[in-house]
Amino acid sequence: MLSKEEAYDLVDHILSEAEGYTARVLVMSEAEGLTRYANSGIHQNVFEDTTRITITISGEDRRSRVSTTTCDREGLRAAVADAIENLEYLPHGEKQPPPVRGVAPISLDRYDEDLERAFDVHQRADHLKRAFGSLADGYRAYGQLSHAENRISFGNSAGVRHFARSNGVKLSSLIASDAGGSGYAAETSERAGEADIPAAFSRAYEKARLNRDQEEIEPGRHTVILEPLAVGNILAFMSFIGFSAKAVQNQLSFLTGREDEQVFDERITIVDDHTDENTASLPFDFEGYPRQKLTLVDSGISRDFAYDAATAEADGVPSTGHSVDMPQRGAIPLHLVMEAGDTSTEEMIADTEDGLLVTRFHYMNVVNPREAQLTGLTRDGVFRIRDGEIDGAVKNMRFTDSVLRALNSVAAISSERQRTPGFFGNFYVPAMKIEDFHFTGKTDA
Amino acid sequence: MKERLSAVLADLSQSGVEYADIRVHDIVEEAISTENREVQDLSTSRSYGYGIRVFADGALGFAASQEFDRIGETAERAVEIARATRPVQRKPVQLDRKEAIVDHYSTPIEIDPFEIPREEKLQLLFAAEERMHESATLLRTEGNMNFRREEKIFADTDGSYITQLLYESGGGISAYAASEGDMQQRSYPSSFRGNHATAGYEFVRDLYLVENAARTAEEAAALIEAEECPSGYFDVVIDSSQLTLQIHESVGHPVELDRVMGYEAGMAGESFLDPGMIDFQYGSEHVNIVADATIPGGLGTFGYDDEGVPAQRVDIVREGRFRNFLTSRDTAPEVGQISNGTSRADGWGRIPIVRMTNINLLPGDASFAELIGGIECGLYLQSNKSWSIDDRRLNFQFACEIAYEIREGQLTGKIFKNPIYTGITPEFWRSCDAVGDESQWQMFGTPNCGKGEPMQVAHVGHGSSPSRFRHVKVGVSDVE
Repeated sequence: MLSKEEAYDLVDHILSEAEGYTARVLVMSEAEGLTRYANSGIHQNVFEDTTRITITISGEDRRSRVSTTTCDREGLRAAVADAIENLEYLPHGEKQPPPVRGVAPISLDRYDEDLERAFDVHQRADHLKRAFGSLADGYRAYGQLSHAENRISFGNSAGVRHFARSNGVKLSSLIASDAGGSGYAAETSERAGEADIPAAFSRAYEKARLNRDQEEIEPGRHTVILEPLAVGNILAFMSFIGFSAKAVQNQLSFLTGREDEQVFDERITIVDDHTDENTASLPFDFEGYPRQKLTLVDSGISRDFAYDAATAEADGVPSTGHSVDMPQRGAIPLHLVMEAGDTSTEEMIADTEDGLLVTRFHYMNVVNPREAQLTGLTRDGVFRIRDGEIDGAVKNMRFTDSVLRALNSVAAISSERQRTPGFFGNFYVPAMKIEDFHFTGKTDA
Repeated sequence: MKERLSAVLADLSQSGVEYADIRVHDIVEEAISTENREVQDLSTSRSYGYGIRVFADGALGFAASQEFDRIGETAERAVEIARATRPVQRKPVQLDRKEAIVDHYSTPIEIDPFEIPREEKLQLLFAAEERMHESATLLRTEGNMNFRREEKIFADTDGSYITQLLYESGGGISAYAASEGDMQQRSYPSSFRGNHATAGYEFVRDLYLVENAARTAEEAAALIEAEECPSGYFDVVIDSSQLTLQIHESVGHPVELDRVMGYEAGMAGESFLDPGMIDFQYGSEHVNIVADATIPGGLGTFGYDDEGVPAQRVDIVREGRFRNFLTSRDTAPEVGQISNGTSRADGWGRIPIVRMTNINLLPGDASFAELIGGIECGLYLQSNKSWSIDDRRLNFQFACEIAYEIREGQLTGKIFKNPIYTGITPEFWRSCDAVGDESQWQMFGTPNCGKGEPMQVAHVGHGSSPSRFRHVKVGVSDVE
């Protein structure tokens, strides 16, 4: 992997090759060791070390992009020449936003050497061997344990330079019973000593143990308590289809025309905050803009949207620093944090006469973006709540419901929150109790 | 390169590994997207590197890098990973037997897509977008083209040395119409960036994007005025542009043997099938499905998979009965077979896993008029808009761009917006009572099939004719 100095040297070289043009360079490196396991044994164990350089060259009213993994001088010269050639082919079009300039260099190094040592290929095998041994007969483990180091360097022809380095560990653990039924837990950590593998396995195992002899219930409207993983699943889609300025400009967002309106229950506040210690910070975006904190939903009122340079130019506002270098998609908030409520999950269960406790969702997708209508299936544990107590497991079901409707039927939000997997880093979200959640199908899965 | 790879493989053999292979991929891609007659993106990318897979003491290790001057270190890392794996395996990996092959395969193409000036490609998309805007009041139009050239080398300790040169070309257009509170889209020839094939630029030329632009635009605008699709149980004819995803999700994935063995349980899920279900009644007698990596033009067509196994055509479902899984060298021995050549990686950095090739529903004998004519009251569904299926591939739900009303055996001309249909995989395929004939048979390429950890995106194909299914659940608004 390239050090900060080597990466900056490479950026300088590329920019000198592109002299006379407005240019920016993004160098993204990742070294990931990932151990997959199934049936309580390792079946795939891999390591990949890759560096990808993306060069964007802009004229006044056109832009081209080249990316390459060939980092030698000859390869980079060819890539720059290709980008310039592409630019010359392009017809004149929309005015291009100017490059970011005049911002202070950002340099963030959160790399933790102890974390890497604690989760190298041998340690990962040892962690898993111990975890498999902790399971009772008749239960098997499936999932992955990985360690990845990421380095991102940015430079442009206006003299801006940024660098960020971090590493992290991810665990997913699905425990399945030979008699049917499963449980799931996920863990992410950026610091040695934080990741508690036995505890995660224990949570998944306890779920699997409870998730047996599932009752089949009929679809329809049910009160649900969505655990944080399920809330994180929903928030990811909301971010993708709703909180992007591009989605609003294209009238695809469910918030189109509803800016500054009360769209959700007043207990819903969602921010995008890369400085929150639970989200794994990426302090600048892929166009070099410092990442701003966004209040996406403020007490149920739609407020901020995520902008990259192009969508900001279109709306005549500054970029918020949320480019993911996908011009067709626009900007996407990556570090979602949802405000906690004042009820514990236990209290939510105790206050529920008849409802369902949902662990997480599987294979969600957007049915109708303008109505925020999503579909997906429950997975790895749905439990019936009767008279304030968990009263057995329920077979998986499909929901099809509008988030706009669901988040206006909030009965409670949990006081405790949990990190859940996001697009680039984590979300940090509570559990939620929602009335009349619309289940539309059932399955034997 | 051959000598260099041979030297690394010889060192690995001498170090005591039972088997090793090296794949070198050099992938060049070009992506063009336009929006409202402006260039949204014009980008090219190159990905060049290698992956080394090692079996030592019955365990697998894999390491990949783009630094060719450190290939020896990468090989050592792969061995170290395999040896770290061994104590935590359930049992040693068994690879099936295969022959050593020295060969070259190239995608047959007429026109190298990278030789066509980008200006010409852009002008084609602009012309199609112009035609869409002339034809209807639209919020937005989009055009896309994607091209890919992949040079691959596969070398192993058995003596195989296979080179391949694979080309892909594809494109499509979309029209979006909006009113207050509603947005509708139509796409041609398919949604999600159009259609893709292993072919040259002739494939994009023959899509006739401009000639199909007006109808696409007019239907998008008409959908804004259309009624919501009713909910209930209907007989439906499903067009190939949607049947592609239906085959993909409810046949292609469940027949992957690695899913059956639990290898994907922690991520994408498993399958409702198990090895004892050969001859299971998967569908009606009209349903004949093959995995065919040899068919010209299919997006899942190649010469050899990424374990050096030749491309094959295999029965998956014959006359409704389940016949075979998709297998790799490490999974096939679990069912007493040898690989049927479906193990592929999405690039040099990832390990090959079981992937679909071209999973094709073979044509039946019904004309389109006969398909429609057999329905008293139903719907003809086109173009996928959304998909979802459970982790054992049973409960599926699809949204389509448009539904055409069928009454008394005729298309009435009325259309509905936001059609959704849902079902359970075997029940659905058993309800198929007619498959369209060969004249209607069409292949669609799916360039975005995700699976595995780290995530891999495979390019696969599906051929089908429009087909008829009885008593299908449409819509969800009536579920109370």
